[in-house]
Amino acid sequence: MLDAGRHPNIEIMTHSELVELRGRAGNFKATVRRHPRFVSEELCTGCGQCATDCPVVVPNEFDIGMGARKAIYSPFAQAVPNTYIIDRKNCLNDDFLVCNNCTRSCDRDAINFDDSGETMNLDVGSLVVATGFDVYNAGAIASYGYGLYDNVLTNMELERILNASGPARGHIIRPSDHKAPKNIAFIQCVGSRGEGGEAGCKYCSRFCCMNTVKDCLLVKQHEPGIEELAVFYIDMRASGRGFEEFYQRSLAMPELRYVRGRPSKIIEDPATKDLIISVENGETGEINRYRAGMVVLSAGAVASESNEKLASVLGIELDENRFFKVNHTYSSPLHTGKEGIYICGCAAGINDISDSVAQGSGAAAEAEKFVDKLMLERKPIVVAELDISGPPRVGVFLCHCGINIAGVLGIDLLKEYASGLPGVVHVEDNIILCSDEGQRIMQERIVEHKLNRVVAAACTPRTHEPIFRESCERIGLNPYLFEMVNVRDQCSWVHSGLPETATEKAKDLIRMGTAKAKHLKPLYRSSIPIKQSVLVVGGGVAGMRAALDLEAQGFKVYLIEKENRLGGRLNNLTRVYPADLSAVELARAMFEKLNNSRVEVMASTEISSITGYFGNFDITTSNGNFKVGAIVVATGADIYKPRDEFSYDKYENVISNQELEDIIHESKKTVKIDGKSPRTVVFIQCIGSRDPEKNSACSRFCCPTTVKQAVRLRESGVNVVVLHRDMRTVGSKAEEQYRHARALGVKFIRYTPERLPRVIGNGDKAEKVEILELALDRTLEIDTDYVVLAAGMVPDKASNDAIHEMLKIPVGADGFFMERHAKLGPVETTSEGVFLAGCVSGPKDIADSIAQGSAAAAKVASIIARDSAMVEPTVCSIDQALCRACGECVKICEYHAPSLVEIRPGVKAAKINEALCKGCGTCACWCPTGAIDALQFTSQQIDSMMDALMVEG
Amino acid sequence: MKSPVGKREKGVLVIGGGIAGIQSALDLASSGVKVYLVEKSPSLGGRMAQLDKTFPTMDCSI
Repeated sequence: MLDAGRHPNIEIMTHSELVELRGRAGNFKATVRRHPRFVSEELCTGCGQCATDCPVVVPNEFDIGMGARKAIYSPFAQAVPNTYIIDRKNCLNDDFLVCNNCTRSCDRDAINFDDSGETMNLDVGSLVVATGFDVYNAGAIASYGYGLYDNVLTNMELERILNASGPARGHIIRPSDHKAPKNIAFIQCVGSRGEGGEAGCKYCSRFCCMNTVKDCLLVKQHEPGIEELAVFYIDMRASGRGFEEFYQRSLAMPELRYVRGRPSKIIEDPATKDLIISVENGETGEINRYRAGMVVLSAGAVASESNEKLASVLGIELDENRFFKVNHTYSSPLHTGKEGIYICGCAAGINDISDSVAQGSGAAAEAEKFVDKLMLERKPIVVAELDISGPPRVGVFLCHCGINIAGVLGIDLLKEYASGLPGVVHVEDNIILCSDEGQRIMQERIVEHKLNRVVAAACTPRTHEPIFRESCERIGLNPYLFEMVNVRDQCSWVHSGLPETATEKAKDLIRMGTAKAKHLKPLYRSSIPIKQSVLVVGGGVAGMRAALDLEAQGFKVYLIEKENRLGGRLNNLTRVYPADLSAVELARAMFEKLNNSRVEVMASTEISSITGYFGNFDITTSNGNFKVGAIVVATGADIYKPRDEFSYDKYENVISNQELEDIIHESKKTVKIDGKSPRTVVFIQCIGSRDPEKNSACSRFCCPTTVKQAVRLRESGVNVVVLHRDMRTVGSKAEEQYRHARALGVKFIRYTPERLPRVIGNGDKAEKVEILELALDRTLEIDTDYVVLAAGMVPDKASNDAIHEMLKIPVGADGFFMERHAKLGPVETTSEGVFLAGCVSGPKDIADSIAQGSAAAAKVASIIARDSAMVEPTVCSIDQALCRACGECVKICEYHAPSLVEIRPGVKAAKINEALCKGCGTCACWCPTGAIDALQFTSQQIDSMMDALMVEG
Repeated sequence: MKSPVGKREKGVLVIGGGIAGIQSALDLASSGVKVYLVEKSPSLGGRMAQLDKTFPTMDCSI
């Protein structure tokens, strides 16, 4: 959020709407209307004084009405922009009594009651629609009593209650009596999967199951005394990387129990305000009643209310669920019916965070094709360096951060204290130090008092250090002579209840910061060249998509495939859900585009080595050598090959889903196996998946695949029975297909891993399947002609090992490559310049793989768009005279920055590649001879901080 | 943040300032593209800003 706020190429227009769009791709004219905010974005510093003085208190939207705000407010503490806004509906100025408290309290004259908004005309080449979703109105299910009973909440409300900065400060309390409930019941699928009436949705909202698992773990953490947590569910859908393991972890909690069943109604006990839930237990068939202190409804997600209006402005269509309609001819979730307009996140259907992030990047790659790269970068700062010779002259700047710091810490005490510290020659406080004015004052004082070291005691270096450093640089003070002391996030915020102790702690922190500052040395950035070319490894859908997107942006692309043809898994499929496209046609369309492009396709090619670092990789292959600036790894995964599960090795009519796919592939209208139409086919789910011995994760694609195949067989007149653990039909249209399959008469029966179905046969043929029907508590025997095992996805171990060896990207415990961040970096890796796309980072369906291909393209483009990159000097440095070449640093470094090189004939020493080093200092701690120092965190600097801490500690 | 005045370059319009829109805007911007990020509510962040933690890594949402 803050990154977007600070990027020089991004102009943020909040409280604004697109009202008109004319023209076409490459040349749109957009009209954006900014609604009046009544507070100037240029002048407001977000200090909050106006809100303190505002007399009107109303419920706040951010906490879903459970907290309070004023009529002039900032939506939440970390809001971007941090400009306040006036809610004119509740403001007293519109009454006959003019209040004007805010106008009087603002010392920057930022408040303007005459603001009438603004209309802006923009020239844009393309658009990205990312309008998100609305939460289902749980009140629409009258029998659950949401809005009627105090202690029935929604999942979003619980999120706010759990939040430490939320209305209950992180304590779990019942709205009726503000006491902690003894037990909490969660009800899943509220409004989802066709259970929400008119206002609800037919699809699965995808994230609520995992959200509930997370909430249960958090509730236990916040209230260790909780006695029971009950989750009422239909299927637990943990399909995503790490999700199944996370769900399994929750199963080990003694307080938590999962009950399969859908409550019919909730009534309130008027005396205790407890809630009584009536439910038919799906496993025993009994009707049970549960008493709960609090009920949390897992409300699903519906299309954003604003979609209709926006769709008409954009001139694009909505689908039957009022999401933006995806143009399936690309089998990509990012295309709309209109060229130049792309969709991502929950605008086109329900996605979880990591898929939304990948789609956001993917949409960027598509949108980039219609605009010129302007390279609107900040100009390098060229000023004469200040004279910093002589003993350290430290300046300490204390920031109030509005009321965030000054509301807790004793600023005057700290000022007085800092003035007495050795080496400190100037101390000054400021209400908002990061404001333009605050920075101007800081710069003036540096020059005026000949400061050669600067300390800011303020918010956090994570977000603000770059701003302060830049201000120093602009007047010629080396930016690395600046030191930041965190007295907000790590002091005033966390100790808000203990102002005196917090002030003492702030003294310690400032004393340590100034002690370190005295030992800071100037550092200088270096520049490395970047090659404007890219290597894509793997020619499946993800790799082909990445290659096409990068080529369209004008980059030189090498696409390597080890097989003799492109297409990957697509070559083994018939029809692709949910678009119901022919896999062959989809593959052919992509091949044709590649043939007509400048992408250098190298089939039947193996990579023998990759050396170098981001911007400068040297690639050696069986088909020639070349240099690239970045690499996309899209080598896919393997399908699990059943061994002896369900007598797969014994009976010839026990086949895998892939074998069935081949049969369907070759069938004409009616599906025939060995020339005959089978009477009955039994599917068994989760072969090789959700099994700690093989792949403990859920493979995600097999449930929708089985549904697709079952419908195809049923339409050919076959009786179909599906034996499953949970039907996990998440993803676009999958739940609707599942519903369709049931309507066609496909039978779904659940089994548990404790009581697996048994395949019974005679000779080399399976004849029947035996299964315990849980609700009837009776063993059923199903005569069958074929048994289909739904085999999941497993990592391609040989290929992953080889790539890991060359690129050093980490492999997870599940054998798939690790993303930089499970949520926020789904296609990035910890190795700069190396990206992942598709199933190489875990099982995915085709649409998600294609979106990731585009996402990786956007990430690559952001690196190789320019011909050089600046490297931060805050890296580790080796004193080669002290190094005895033991190689410990080479082994320990996560980023592969150190290596052993020959410095003189026969003498080796470690050397650090500054382009790869993150300056974390792990090697410095590990080095047995003390040859390594992390610049900006040298041993001398840290020792001085420790000494300072001990002085009065 | 800056007041939009004067002549503009041709850019990409991103509608929606939630996690997907922000990601899109950031990637476009780092590739050197001018981005207009339009959000109908008074602040960026979308739904994710309202969450306490995210699964399965339990990272903070903001």
